[in-house]
Amino acid sequence: MTSAEVKFFENVIETTENCRYCLMCRHTCPVGLGTHNETLTPHGWGLTIASVKRGLLTWNDETVDALYSCADCGNCRAHCVFDQPLPDAIAAARAEVAAQNLAPAVVYEFDEMFKQWGNPYQPQAPEPASHQGDVALFVGDESLYLWPSALEAALKLLKAIGIEPVLVGSGRSNGYLASSLGLPETARSLAQAVIEDVKASGASQLLVLSPGDAFAFNRLYVERLGMAWPDDVIVQEVTVLLAEKLEAGELTITPLDDETPYVYMDPTHTVRVPERVEAPRNLLSALYQRPGIEVFWRKDRAHPAGNTALQFTQPDLSNQLTMGRLYDALSVGARRVICEDPGTLSALKPGAERVKLDLVGLYELLADHV
Amino acid sequence: MAQSAAFTSEMIRSELEEIVGQAYISTTETDKLIYSTDWAWMPQMWLDRGERLATPDYILHPGTKEEISAIVKLANRFRLPVVPWGGGSGTQGGALSIYGGILIDTKRLDKIIEINEKALTVTAQAGINGSQLEWALNEKGLSLMHYPASANCATLGGYLAPRGSGTISTKYGKAEDLVMRFEVVLPNGDIIRTPHVPNHASGPDYMRLFLGSEGVFGIFTEVTMQVDYQPEARLLRAVLFESVANAVEAGRRIMTRRLDPMVIRMYDPGSTASQVKQFLGYELEGAYMVIGWDGDPDIAALQEQKGMEICTELGARDLGREPGEHWWEHRYDFYYPPKSLKLPWMYGTTETVTTYDRLETLYYAKKKAIEETYKDHNAKYIGHFSHWFHWGASLYDRFIVEEPPENAQEALRLHNRIWNTAITTSLEHGGMVNEHHGVGLKLGRYMPRQYGEAWPFLQTLKKAIDPNGIMNPGKVGFGF
Ligand SMILES: Cc1cc2nc3c(=O)[nH]c(=O)nc-3n(C[C@H](O)[C@H](O)[C@H](O)COP(=O)(O)OP(=O)(O)OC[C@H]3O[C@@H](n4cnc5c(N)ncnc54)[C@H](O)[C@@H]3O)c2cc1C
Ligand code: SF4
Ligand code: SF4
Repeated sequence: MTSAEVKFFENVIETTENCRYCLMCRHTCPVGLGTHNETLTPHGWGLTIASVKRGLLTWNDETVDALYSCADCGNCRAHCVFDQPLPDAIAAARAEVAAQNLAPAVVYEFDEMFKQWGNPYQPQAPEPASHQGDVALFVGDESLYLWPSALEAALKLLKAIGIEPVLVGSGRSNGYLASSLGLPETARSLAQAVIEDVKASGASQLLVLSPGDAFAFNRLYVERLGMAWPDDVIVQEVTVLLAEKLEAGELTITPLDDETPYVYMDPTHTVRVPERVEAPRNLLSALYQRPGIEVFWRKDRAHPAGNTALQFTQPDLSNQLTMGRLYDALSVGARRVICEDPGTLSALKPGAERVKLDLVGLYELLADHV
Repeated sequence: MAQSAAFTSEMIRSELEEIVGQAYISTTETDKLIYSTDWAWMPQMWLDRGERLATPDYILHPGTKEEISAIVKLANRFRLPVVPWGGGSGTQGGALSIYGGILIDTKRLDKIIEINEKALTVTAQAGINGSQLEWALNEKGLSLMHYPASANCATLGGYLAPRGSGTISTKYGKAEDLVMRFEVVLPNGDIIRTPHVPNHASGPDYMRLFLGSEGVFGIFTEVTMQVDYQPEARLLRAVLFESVANAVEAGRRIMTRRLDPMVIRMYDPGSTASQVKQFLGYELEGAYMVIGWDGDPDIAALQEQKGMEICTELGARDLGREPGEHWWEHRYDFYYPPKSLKLPWMYGTTETVTTYDRLETLYYAKKKAIEETYKDHNAKYIGHFSHWFHWGASLYDRFIVEEPPENAQEALRLHNRIWNTAITTSLEHGGMVNEHHGVGLKLGRYMPRQYGEAWPFLQTLKKAIDPNGIMNPGKVGFGF
């Protein structure tokens, strides 16, 4: 282990030792609140990991099942006064379990996919950087394979403010999913490949389509994977850039004459990038000429949809999280749900159809009105 | 033998499964371990040392009161203990399944039934999380005004079960004062509701019997609480007294003149030097006191002015608004690791309440008893005066032993001895066994002494309400 890895590991052990007897963030943990099960709360995971260490439990089907039920959504850490990195600790425990061949079978299947194709969705190799330029846009795997219309619309919006970015990481996972599944080495290779793609593009600004990507590049790489993000490359979300341009009068949005009650659904991982919450709302307010209705689990307490590692390890739980987001929207009287994150949108889609909510991509909606 | 036990256990499990459904019963080793401890120091330490605790045999997550009623009826038939569980944040071991049996986790009962903006009440199921309930009220400009440090983890039912107090109980009352009515599943499985208003002259107030009963008289399933409008103003400031005596006197005068502060939090010199410094960053000598008023800005400002006059008369130094507001912002930081009190240290919150004429004597007596008796263990005693009434105040005091014995049994023995000293001293000096954490397993042994000749009366009530003794046995001083 490198010294950074040793430090990370010690930090992680210390975290579970703290969280095992703490109850202070469970009110925001979507899995704990959804399952009502003490084991599936920040405290429960801390205590489970600590109990394995003390010989009171062993890693077996039952404990591994519990370990793989955390959504790795970051709500606990976001609400922790002392910023304990519990999701990192859980990922480290999963890595230990995966290394002992005790992880769910799907973890190893995905490891193969990541290693061979750089993504878990399609047996297709990632594209190299399209060309060189000052501004790049990270495409990733979710926007390419799960919700392609977001990319096209985002490019149109960027063009409207005079930006034609270099496309990087087309078809490549940002590494979050692999790290969340307990595959840190694979996550590091994916991260390394993203960093090399970005460097090859020559860009000093990397635009991303979702807070999940912003979190991965700004924090996950450094904090969980022990990797350095290039100092000279600034990461910014497209929505944040567009909102800045709107405020500066450099982007004009044609108002939409539509009375449909809408909510803006904060994408998965929003709590990890809380400073971004107003940007999409401002864009939508400009479009609708009124603010949307707010759901209960919003902004700095936004729950994730099911588009985390749970969709592969615990599909029922993942579905429960997704439906929770939709019921939240229904309960405040919304008829339309708007979000920009390709991963969140694709997770919400089947449920939205079932409960008859109109699901709309934010980039697509805006692109039609600039 | 083992096989016949497995047989019986499976027969009961099947019946329970029929009541709640397969997804809502667990007998896994992991769940049993996690549910074997609440937030009391004793079980936490026990697990920390790698020792096992008694666990529930069945962990149930019922979704309705009818299911709870059916579970309780089954428990009577099989003579099984039933332990209600809210957030497991109790500090007295009240939710421990010391005799195994059925643990009823109430958290699936988490719906808000009605927010009545005219009567200013909220009706919710008892398993709802405290902060979630507060957020929902805040959406409508309302607040429960019960702000315990455990709101993030405790449930509404758990607020009432041990008669909890929140930060601003001095103005708004304890949880028990805010309750309008509730629904409870009795130990025989009957479901009853108290009248829709709490204050009347229509016979005895049996509602109070359940408040503080910590699950020994039944399980709350639905509760109506009073709520308030969010205050227009919240004025906070801090003052520093040279002595505890003057600080207590200032609190007493403010309360007895009915200046209606929402909070008076006075730290003794030990806490001022340790906790106030560690969490708020102020290096001060003396008794640090935060005082706050809320509500209408003009009235609050006038109350504050009158309160400050009293403090000044008694020699307080006004530290201004910032240290008061800073405290308000960070008042719960004390409870987050790694800076909270935590293992491997030994600690206990031996809080109590008494009348003003005894308050100071009680504080010094406890300090002396703990620090002198456990000098060899370097026991520290710190305290603050947290919840104030017209007639007295609560002393939120703690002992801390930074290097307790390694051996779990020895550590537990020492812990129980220190508690014994603390509670005995409280009782000898007019303090109650507890003010807001409840009795649980830990303090049950003091109930006969606390209640004297009234204790057999309480035991008779318990026998009448729960003849088979199934409800939370071993807690609040009642046996099995
Ligand atoms: C960090 C922290 C800070 C705290 N701060 C405060 C504070 O400021 N003020 C305060 O008053 N307390 C405080 N406590 C103590 C504790 O949180 C409270 O007593 C709390 O109200 C317990 O609620 P719970 O839902 O967690 O109950 P649990 O711990 O699950 O149970 C407590 C007792 O109530 C019984 N019970 C639970 N639910 C029901 C029900 N529905 N019907 C009948 N019986 C039931 C249980 O059997 C048990 O005996 C704190 C605890 C922690 C961990
Ligand atoms: S993340 Fe922080 S608040 Fe949550 S359990 Fe851990 S220490 Fe407590
Ligand atoms: S990462 Fe999310 S699901 Fe996991 S413990 Fe934290 S809040 Fe709960």
